[in-house]
Amino acid sequence: MEIFGGLLQGFALALQPVNLFWCFVGVFLGTIVGIMPGLGPPATIAMLLPLTFLMSPASAMIMLAGIYYGAKYGGSTTSILLNVPGESASVVTCLDGYQMARKGRAGAALGIAAIASFIAGTVGVLGLMLVAPPLARFALAFSSPEYFGLMALGLAMVVLLAGRSMVKALLAMLLGLWLAGIGTDLFSSESRFTFGSLELLSGIDFVVVAIGVFAIGEVLANMEEATPAEPLPIPKGLRNLLPTLQDLKDCRFAFAQGSVLGFVIGVLPGAGSTIASFISYGVEKAFSRRREQFGTGVVEGVAAPEGANNSETGGALVPLLTLGIPGSGTTAILLAALVLWGFKPGPLFIADNPSLFWSLVASMYIGNVMLLVLNLPLVPIFAQVLRAPAYVLFPIILGVSIVGVYTTSSSMFDVACLAAFGLLGYLMRKLDYPSAPLILGLVLGGAMERALRQSLMMSDGSLTILVARPISAVMLSFALLILLIPVFSKANAWRQKLLS
Amino acid sequence: MAPKIAFLIALSLAGSAFAQGFKPTRTVEVVVHTGPGGGSDLLARAVATMIEKEKLLPVRMQVVNKAGGGGAVAPAYLAEKAGDPHTLGFFTGVWLTNPITTDAAKVTLKDLTPIARLVLEPALIAVKADAPYKTLSDFTTAAKEKPGQLKQSGGSVTSRDNVVRQLLQRSSSARWAFISFPGGGERIAALLGGHVNMMVIEPAEAGEHIRAGNMRVLAQVSERRLSGFPNVPTLKEAGFDVPAVPQVRGVVAPPGIPPANVAYWEDVFRRLTRTASWKKYLDDNQFEDGYQNAADLSKFYDDFTGTMRGILQEAGVKIVR
Repeated sequence: MEIFGGLLQGFALALQPVNLFWCFVGVFLGTIVGIMPGLGPPATIAMLLPLTFLMSPASAMIMLAGIYYGAKYGGSTTSILLNVPGESASVVTCLDGYQMARKGRAGAALGIAAIASFIAGTVGVLGLMLVAPPLARFALAFSSPEYFGLMALGLAMVVLLAGRSMVKALLAMLLGLWLAGIGTDLFSSESRFTFGSLELLSGIDFVVVAIGVFAIGEVLANMEEATPAEPLPIPKGLRNLLPTLQDLKDCRFAFAQGSVLGFVIGVLPGAGSTIASFISYGVEKAFSRRREQFGTGVVEGVAAPEGANNSETGGALVPLLTLGIPGSGTTAILLAALVLWGFKPGPLFIADNPSLFWSLVASMYIGNVMLLVLNLPLVPIFAQVLRAPAYVLFPIILGVSIVGVYTTSSSMFDVACLAAFGLLGYLMRKLDYPSAPLILGLVLGGAMERALRQSLMMSDGSLTILVARPISAVMLSFALLILLIPVFSKANAWRQKLLS
Repeated sequence: MAPKIAFLIALSLAGSAFAQGFKPTRTVEVVVHTGPGGGSDLLARAVATMIEKEKLLPVRMQVVNKAGGGGAVAPAYLAEKAGDPHTLGFFTGVWLTNPITTDAAKVTLKDLTPIARLVLEPALIAVKADAPYKTLSDFTTAAKEKPGQLKQSGGSVTSRDNVVRQLLQRSSSARWAFISFPGGGERIAALLGGHVNMMVIEPAEAGEHIRAGNMRVLAQVSERRLSGFPNVPTLKEAGFDVPAVPQVRGVVAPPGIPPANVAYWEDVFRRLTRTASWKKYLDDNQFEDGYQNAADLSKFYDDFTGTMRGILQEAGVKIVR
């Protein structure tokens, strides 16, 4: 009943015209920020901080949170249309989203992304509202050994991201792991593989690699065809641009698991939305009856990661609001904003400021509805982009990629890296190496190495800590099971052969 | 001393004369070495807001994030901007320790133009509320009984967290493990989850956890007791005769700018530290006023770098210069 009363009070505040206005401003800006590769929520929120002093803290929090979860809606747009991940959490969306667009189903992919985002975003708020305190305690039970287990589970997904050849997938993953090792070692401050380069000291930003390998590689591979490809087929009529009932039916499981997994992983301060989206995609594929079609444009392959990266937002707010612990760049700057407005984020924050908390929760329900209403009509408009012939579309992709990378870091070095990884992406396509395992290794490599070394410091060098702690033991067992999937399917195929 | 006073009087009398010497004419770029939300970024944004509110500058200040190189990209960027009158940087201790341990971090604070030191951030030594240690000596005694078994969460090996650990270990001849976490949130989560036994934490971060009964403070890394923690002993009062290493933050300019510009910026920041908004900001964050002018700051560099080099060397970190 406490929740019900709080929520009523929250809606009363959030539905005030001024708060509705700022909520709309937030989700609108968020959508734009999400669509533009490079420009992310942390930089946007930092730029807007001085402006927030002119508003009430509730309005300001509602707006900034709107940018945060709104960006997750927009992130899928360029992934699907141009194979350019709009933000890190939308890398996996490229795999099936872009293939759907190539088959003329861009509208369906964009629509499913919006619907999955809406469902998962709402589930994330529900979770934040109902189970925040107990889940925050669960998050504290997670430390380095548990994170190692989680990362190992993520890395095991490589067997599900492989194309025709498992060996090539593993090689690509190893390359990703090696790239993750470049930079300053956190524990000894020594430089690894930097060859005296100042820029390499902080490592290679995986957004640069993802955009290079996916977008630039794709453009290069397409350009060598002598006759430029025909514009992609775009079905006429609004009804054909939106997902079909069959699509929605195919996505039932993806909506559910993406929402729940994204939220739970979001609660963990050391994980993040990129990992959530990869794991959700892997889970979807592992349990799918049409596993072999993933990567060719199946609609669940878009719904699962897009759901996971949206409910992750609700999850990430749990440790921030219940413990004052930020888990990501965006939540760190939200924490700083709260301090600047004179609040004291910490374990007593919700108890001290119930009306702020509840108006934020209520605004997130409203904001998610606004985002759905805002994004669905944009689908047919965005889908028109693909009508452009190759000589228009390819320069656009190149431009968007370069500008996106440059705005992230204002560094020409990163632009040069983008070109290099574009070439790598092209070679990988030619030699039939899958690119997703490379990105997976790069995303997880750093966090996994850190978790392992922290665990070993905790246990004074003994590896048993990884299996002696129940949560990490369970994760590692799951990872092993996933690794055995190809073995099982091989054995199965063999048995069928023997029987016939 | 006398010339300095005369200089200050001349400065206050002839403030307008100095302004004629140099005045920014377009937006001033303020370079920080962290991304949005990092310690320097937040200070720079707060300073920019206060300077605007108090009308201390005729132009706007814009924070530019030059993250990367483990903090080495921002100083290098400033060095490239040699002679540019519309660029400033916010430095921190990392700008001094990085060149000591990292070969590629070639630009030291010595290569830039000092303007002012602004804040000293003290710290607290905290344990989980249900830990058996009531004093810092309890902790070091327990650590001595089980060498290497107790753990501390913190930042990188060159961070202040580890420097405080090294100093305490040397003074108590105890030994405990140091586990690096890249994010501040993860360090606190590791302590609250019971995965480590102790951490060095910023006062503003610790306050709410203490109020909620999750954390206990054993000592403060500060020369004198902070107003927010009147009952917590300083390191010296707790019986540990070690220097209270502060996290230092201040302002530098690119190399090769004329003395008139230095005087102008010195004046802006000196006036900033006298405003009520600045005092409130320090109080809210439990920072110490660390104001020093350009000349004193230059001397501070040498002392600080020398001390840190010794401590890091002893900690087994590879020293390159």
